[in-house]
Amino acid sequence: MSWDNTTLFADDTPADRAFRQEVRDWIAANLPFELCNRATRIDPPELKPWHRKLYERGWIAPHWPKEHGGMGATLTQQIILFEEIIRVGAPTPYPHGLNFIGPLIIDAGTPEQRAKHLPPILTGEVTWCQGYSESGAGSDLASLTTRAELDGDDFVVNGHKMWTTNGHFADWMFALVRTDPKAQPRHAGISMLLIDLRSPGITVKPIQTIKGDAEFAEELLVDVRVPRENLLGGLNDGWKVANRLLGSERFTTGHPRNAAVLLNKARQVAEVTGTLREPGFLQKLAALEIDLLAFSAYYRHAAALHGEQRAPFSMAPVIKIAGGELGQRASELLVEAAVGFGPLADDMTVGNQVVNPAAEMFEMRRVTVGSGAVEIQRNIIAKRVLGLPS
Amino acid sequence: MDLLLSEQQNLFAETAARLCLDHGGPKRLRALRAAGADMDDEAWRAARGAEWLATVVAEDHGGQGLGAFDLALALEQAGRQLLLLPLAEAAAAAATMSRATDTSRTAGAIADLLRGAGLIVPATEAASWRPGARASGIRYDSRAGVLDGSIAFVAYGDSADAFLVAIDSGPQPVLAIVPRSNVSVATDRNVDGSTSSRLAFTKVHVPAEHVIATGVEARKLTLYLQEFLMLGSAAELVGLAAAALEVTLDYVKLRQQFGKPIGSFQVLQHRAVDSFIDIELNRSLVYRVLAAYDAGEHHPAMVSAAKARASRAALQVTRAALQMHGAIGYTEEHDIGLYYKRAMTLAARYGGELGHTGAFSALTLEGVGGAP
Repeated sequence: MSWDNTTLFADDTPADRAFRQEVRDWIAANLPFELCNRATRIDPPELKPWHRKLYERGWIAPHWPKEHGGMGATLTQQIILFEEIIRVGAPTPYPHGLNFIGPLIIDAGTPEQRAKHLPPILTGEVTWCQGYSESGAGSDLASLTTRAELDGDDFVVNGHKMWTTNGHFADWMFALVRTDPKAQPRHAGISMLLIDLRSPGITVKPIQTIKGDAEFAEELLVDVRVPRENLLGGLNDGWKVANRLLGSERFTTGHPRNAAVLLNKARQVAEVTGTLREPGFLQKLAALEIDLLAFSAYYRHAAALHGEQRAPFSMAPVIKIAGGELGQRASELLVEAAVGFGPLADDMTVGNQVVNPAAEMFEMRRVTVGSGAVEIQRNIIAKRVLGLPS
Repeated sequence: MDLLLSEQQNLFAETAARLCLDHGGPKRLRALRAAGADMDDEAWRAARGAEWLATVVAEDHGGQGLGAFDLALALEQAGRQLLLLPLAEAAAAAATMSRATDTSRTAGAIADLLRGAGLIVPATEAASWRPGARASGIRYDSRAGVLDGSIAFVAYGDSADAFLVAIDSGPQPVLAIVPRSNVSVATDRNVDGSTSSRLAFTKVHVPAEHVIATGVEARKLTLYLQEFLMLGSAAELVGLAAAALEVTLDYVKLRQQFGKPIGSFQVLQHRAVDSFIDIELNRSLVYRVLAAYDAGEHHPAMVSAAKARASRAALQVTRAALQMHGAIGYTEEHDIGLYYKRAMTLAARYGGELGHTGAFSALTLEGVGGAP
């Protein structure tokens, strides 16, 4: 019996299996080869035709309700789509529109906001970014200082946003801004604004990452006028609105497949470099594969419970921590497997595949920092799950 | 209520939890250790009364034919309460015997086990249980019907009335029942009060009616038996680790230093969370592998993975528990040390992290990868 670490403990029903096959066949016929298995990041403009294809097939937003142009799919179907896309090394669309602000607009938006913003998210015409972090507000997000003051029918926004993925490619930003500086607790004075990035007063500057590409940007906002109708949810309700994302997005970003792909690359690279004959390497690889198996088991349980809407609170932060740290360790093994090629700045060719161990490793550094560092997730579990005191 | 379980399984788990709570716990383990007992006869009577053994025995042998998963729920509770209960061992023996083709030879032994007329525990060895070990220490000569050699690290060997000897290495595999009186048993005590026995077979004649299987069938049943034992002890370790964390959480919420409960300090909180995550992932792994095992759909590497990880996690969690208890954790008086000691025994029994990680590596090295 051969060992396949990519669909461990898959829970497919016969209907799911049929859906998986349908997706697999469609992808084989429509796959953009040039986008597959790229060692480096693909910027949003290059991704648009692939986004469009998925949209035309009706599969771009499996998790959205049908009345808003989604598939109304079960969580298992969503996971199948994700698994089958990355199974062939194809990129998945960026999540900021489809997974983050889209569902929030569906949930808390006005009919006008829905009509205006949802269709171009589905087609991929409009790129969104998330304006949460600031230079002084990272893990302590509630301390954010970007100010929005009502002036007639507009908010006037002043401040500085940072670490916004795709900020330099985005057309729109959903931002958390301070609308009541005196409110206590601090998060009670925050609102969610939808900001057109072409508005006057916005300067966008890309930030080079440790990986060498420009994934993030920072935005300086000086007297930016945002129409009042771009407030999402109620005034000073921004924290509540943002927290209504129930963690579904973690089920794709935290998928064990990420680590599985890295471990398989490590194995292929090790075969070429000869590291695969080292008992120490084999022991490390096996230990990681065992942790992957355990994480996959947990992931399937979590997905099944989440699909029935009875997942306990702890599951999303556990997936974030365990999945992120596992992916990181897998990427470190990939660099080790490459021995002398590990620190190479350029890609290396293994068989018919291009691999860049260092870039893969750098990429994984952010998964334990972005959207709530694992330390913050641990604080959350300690207090809310284990009941430990402050 | 455990969300991963069905309603029926939850009911069973709750009943098991009550029974184990009534009969087990640190105090009970201390008393047994002081008395030099290698198992808890009282708890064992209760477990048999609750028909736990019957869950894994096929229906045509008078059992319920439910599979190892349901039994594992009871084992998890036994682990939580530090019970010295030969449940995994007797169940592995009963389930294995009930799967033999020639039922005429096993029916009597299974019935005896179920009604408590005699305790049969497995005596088997797998290479992965002892890293580096290859040659078997025991041989079976099928022509003469003779067993010769020794088997080490047999659990509950001191209390057993008979052994289910399972040999899959060497040219002649065999599965046979050997009464204790035919074997010389040397027993060592472990740190938690449990025992490990070394069985010496000096040209022991095995009458034909005691031979359950030979050849391919013996090899198959031996593998089934060994996997059962690995998964059974993994389930005990899951419960044990969870209990050790609970004891520790209670302690750090109460113990004050610097004018505050020490559980308010972030370093200890993060240690506790890491233990929590380890336990959660482990329980999922053991449950999923058990389900696959019962359905006959598991890859053998999964069983090694479950035992390797359950062993590592239980040791890690109980060590962290000791550390979080500070000096009191280092005393004989405090119970947390018992959890650590019990974890040591169960982690080593039927193979620990090192051996099973190696076994996993060997079992998965061929044909890896899956889709591109």
